Amino acid sequence: MMTDTSDPSLAEAGMPFREKSAWVAVAGMVVGYGGYFAAIATLPPQTFSVDPPGLVLKLFVLLTAATIVRLLILGAGMLAIRAAAPMDARAPADERDRAIAGRAAAIAYYVMMTGTIIVGMVMPFTARGWAIVNAALLAIVIAELARCGTIIASYRRGWHG
Amino acid sequence: MANIPISNNIRTLRFMAGEMTQADLGARIGMTRQTIAAIEAGKYSPTLEAAFRIAQVFGKTLDEVFRWEG
Repeated sequence: MMTDTSDPSLAEAGMPFREKSAWVAVAGMVVGYGGYFAAIATLPPQTFSVDPPGLVLKLFVLLTAATIVRLLILGAGMLAIRAAAPMDARAPADERDRAIAGRAAAIAYYVMMTGTIIVGMVMPFTARGWAIVNAALLAIVIAELARCGTIIASYRRGWHG
Repeated sequence: MANIPISNNIRTLRFMAGEMTQADLGARIGMTRQTIAAIEAGKYSPTLEAAFRIAQVFGKTLDEVFRWEG
């Protein structure tokens, strides 16, 4: 999460607040939901087709833990970056911020749409129950990562509309 | 991302204007200091309105602040 120092102007200004926010969001998603999907991957392959007793509770606990971890990272991270640069945090979004946010939302929309089609129109014929639920969650996570990734790349590499 | 052939001398104009900071310039035209930095570094092309506002701050015309290098 290094500030771009390739140009003295950029080094003088530091990393934009909204780029920092995107990095915090990525960290929360990767740690929280990465942990959840890593735990899911350790379950026997036939788990989601057999639905053994206790599966619902186990997955609910894992998902709740993942969400809490994500929210803790998000909360702590946002407090830290706000404390480090309170003026930047209070500044309203300018034209570049709005343009980058719009582009990121558009890209995330197409990612989400692809995931929705796969989960809602393909998987009902090939999977059941929790497999579909987890695939839907994965689609949401990937779309959010796409949104944050676009924000970070646009601030780092430059944006000309 | 390809750099567009537009250069500017905003950084020089800031220093000539009593060492105006990026934050000062940004506050005058409604932009963050990081966006001002990105404009100076050629990493962001401002809208036409923003470009006119920047020129107005320094009392210059648009082509005295921005140059087409293409």
